Amino acid sequence: MLKIKNLHVKVEGKEILKGINLDINPGEVHAIMGPNGSGKSTLSYILAGRAGYEITEGSVSFHGKDLLEMSVEERAWAGVFLAFQYPVEVPGVSNIYMLKAALNGVRKYNGLDQLDAMDFISMVKEKMRDLDMDEKFLYRAVNEGFSGGEKKRNEILQMSVLAPSLCVLDETDSGLDIDALKIVSEGVNRLRDPSRSFILVTHYQRLLDYIKPDFVHVLAGGEIVKSGGPELALELEAKGYSWVDDNKES
Amino acid sequence: MSVLSTHYNDLLQNTSDELTGNDFPWLGSLRQRSKDSLLVSGLPSLRDEEWRYTNISAIEKNEFKLAPRNLAVDQSLLSKALLNHCHHLVFIDGYYRDELSSSQDLPEGVTVVPLSAAEKGEQETQFKSLINASFNDEAEHGFTHLNTALFTDGVLVCIPENTVVEKPIQVVCLASSNSPLAVSNYRNLILAKAGSKATVIESYYGSQDMCYLTNVVTEVVVETNANLSHTRLQAESNQAFHMGGVYSTLEKSAMFSQSNFTFGGLISRAEIHADLGIESSCILDGLFLGQDKQHLDHHTRLNHKQPHAVSQELYKGVMADQSTGVFQGRIVVAEDAQKTDATMNNRNLLLSERANIDSKPQLEIYADDVKCAHGVTIGQLDETAIFYLRSRGADEKMAKNMLTFAFANEMVERISLEPLRHKVMDELLKQFPQTDILKEWL
Repeated sequence: MLKIKNLHVKVEGKEILKGINLDINPGEVHAIMGPNGSGKSTLSYILAGRAGYEITEGSVSFHGKDLLEMSVEERAWAGVFLAFQYPVEVPGVSNIYMLKAALNGVRKYNGLDQLDAMDFISMVKEKMRDLDMDEKFLYRAVNEGFSGGEKKRNEILQMSVLAPSLCVLDETDSGLDIDALKIVSEGVNRLRDPSRSFILVTHYQRLLDYIKPDFVHVLAGGEIVKSGGPELALELEAKGYSWVDDNKES
Repeated sequence: MSVLSTHYNDLLQNTSDELTGNDFPWLGSLRQRSKDSLLVSGLPSLRDEEWRYTNISAIEKNEFKLAPRNLAVDQSLLSKALLNHCHHLVFIDGYYRDELSSSQDLPEGVTVVPLSAAEKGEQETQFKSLINASFNDEAEHGFTHLNTALFTDGVLVCIPENTVVEKPIQVVCLASSNSPLAVSNYRNLILAKAGSKATVIESYYGSQDMCYLTNVVTEVVVETNANLSHTRLQAESNQAFHMGGVYSTLEKSAMFSQSNFTFGGLISRAEIHADLGIESSCILDGLFLGQDKQHLDHHTRLNHKQPHAVSQELYKGVMADQSTGVFQGRIVVAEDAQKTDATMNNRNLLLSERANIDSKPQLEIYADDVKCAHGVTIGQLDETAIFYLRSRGADEKMAKNMLTFAFANEMVERISLEPLRHKVMDELLKQFPQTDILKEWL
C-alpha cells in the first residue's frame, strides 16, 4: 500500500531524512521509534504533504500512485490521515463543520453521494460515544480550548469519521494520562482492519502496550537503523536509544 | 479652499421643490446655512486630515441628480432587504413609499414616521429639536452639509419614556434600477426617551452595477437609562457610493449598541460618533468585507465627556483582491471623564497581496484615572490552520473560505436578532461560500 524508497529530505538546507526505505502492506501496524530530532515528525509531515520540506531524492507511492505529486487534500481524499502531535486550533470553525467538510471532500473524490445531515450527525455521535467524548464538542471550535487529551481524542474522532486507509499517528501518546491513553488506543484498535494500515510514530514504548505493532523500526539520525518485531520496542525500552547507535545494522 | 463643481452648485440651487419639510420655515433657514457652508467648504479632499485615506473625487465627478418619485420597485431587491417581524419604512431613491411600508401595533405614543409626513405640532417639535443636535463641529463636512441641504426624506423615531418597542424598526433604503446617477439624501432622527428601549435597523440595498450616491445622516439621542440598539447594514451596488454617518448623544446611564456591516459600494464611508454622558455605555461593532476595487472607510469617534462611562469597540475588516480598507478610531477622554473604561480593537485580514488597509487608532486622554486600551492587528490567514484543514480533506479554497468566514462570523454571531443575523450571514456567505452546511453549524 505504501512504499517509501530511498527518501532524502532537507529542511532549510539541512538533511533530515537520509534515505528512508519502508514498505507497508494493508492491515499492518508499523511503529517508528526514535530519539528526539531523529526525523520522525518530518516523515509524518512528508506523508501528509506539509510545505517547507525539500525532497532531494527518493519516492513515495501510495496505492500505486506517486504520493509526493499529490496535493495535501488529494492525499486526504485518497486515504492518508495524519493525527497531529499538536492538533491545530481553528477558532470559529466548529468541529462538526470541519468533519462534514472533510467527509464531503473524501466522499466526492471517491464518487460517493454526500451524507444526509441527519445520518451524518448520528454517525458522528456514535463514534463520539466510543471515544467517551461529550456531544458538546461537536459545536465547539476545532480544538480551541481543548485539553491535551481532548485534542488527541478529537484527532481519533476525525480519523474514525474519515475512515482512511493509512493512518499516521504522530506522537499521539504524548501528553496523555493513562486513562486518555487507553481511550485513544481503544479507538485506534477499533479501526484496525485488514485493509487499513497504521504508522505509529512514538518516542516511548508505552503506546505499544496498548496498540500492538506488527513491525518496529528505529529511526535515528535520519535513517532507519533497525527493524524488527514488537520485541524490538521492549529491548529499546530496556536498553535506551544509545544501544541502537552501538548496534547499527550495516 | 475647495471649490464645489458647477454641477453640485446647480444641484443645490435647483432642487428645493423636491425636498421635504417645506412647510417648516426653520428648516428652510437650516438648509440655507448648510448650502452656504457647502459652497464655501466644498466636498472633503485628501488634504483634510479626516479624509486623507479616502479619495472622493470619483463622487465629485459624477453628475448626480435627484431621482423622480414613484419609480417602479424591484421586488427581488425589496424582499432581499426586508427583515421578518419588523416594522418597515421603505424608501426608494430617497422617497418614502407608504404602500410598501407597515408599522402597525406600535405601542401608544410611539412616533415612527417618515420626515415627509411629520405633522405640525409635537412631531415638528421633535424634528426641530433633533436635527443638528448631535453634531459637533468636527462632525460637519461637505457630505453632512449636502445632506442637510438636500435630504428628501428619512425617519423620525421617538420612543416615549419607559416604553419598550419590542418589534424592531427597520428603515429600508433602496436604489432602484431605473434611476442611474441618483443621489438619495436621507436624514434619520431617533430619540429614545428616558427608560425606553428600542431597536432600529437601517438597510441599504441597490441593484448590481448601478451607479448612484446614498448620503445618510442619522442622529440619535439616548436619554437617561434608555437602551437603543442600532444597526446599519450596507449592501449597496458594487458601483455605488455610500456616505453614512451616525451621530449620537448618550445621557446618564444610557446604553447604545451600534453595529455596522459594510458589504457594498465602490467607495463607502461610515462615521460613527458618540458623546458619552455619565455612567453611559456604548458598544460599537463593525465588519467590513472588501473585494475587487472597493474602498471601505470607517471612522469612529467616542467622546467620553463625563465620568464612569464604558465603551467597547471591535471592528473587523477582510480585504480581498485590490480592495482597500480604512479604520480610523478615535477615543477622546475629557478631563472630567474620570473612571472611563474604553477599549478599541481593530482586526484585519488581508487576503491578497494587492489588498490594503490603513488602520489608525487614536487615544486622546485628558483625565488621569481611566482605563483605555486599544489594539490593531493586520494579518493573513494562518498557514498551519490551512494545512490542517486541507489534511482533513477540505480543498485549499474551501479551507481559506472556512477560515475567513470564521474570522468574520465572530461579528455576525454577536447579532442577537435572528432574522438580522441570518441576513448579515447571507451577505457573508455570498462572498465566502460554505458548502453543504447547515447554518446552525456555523
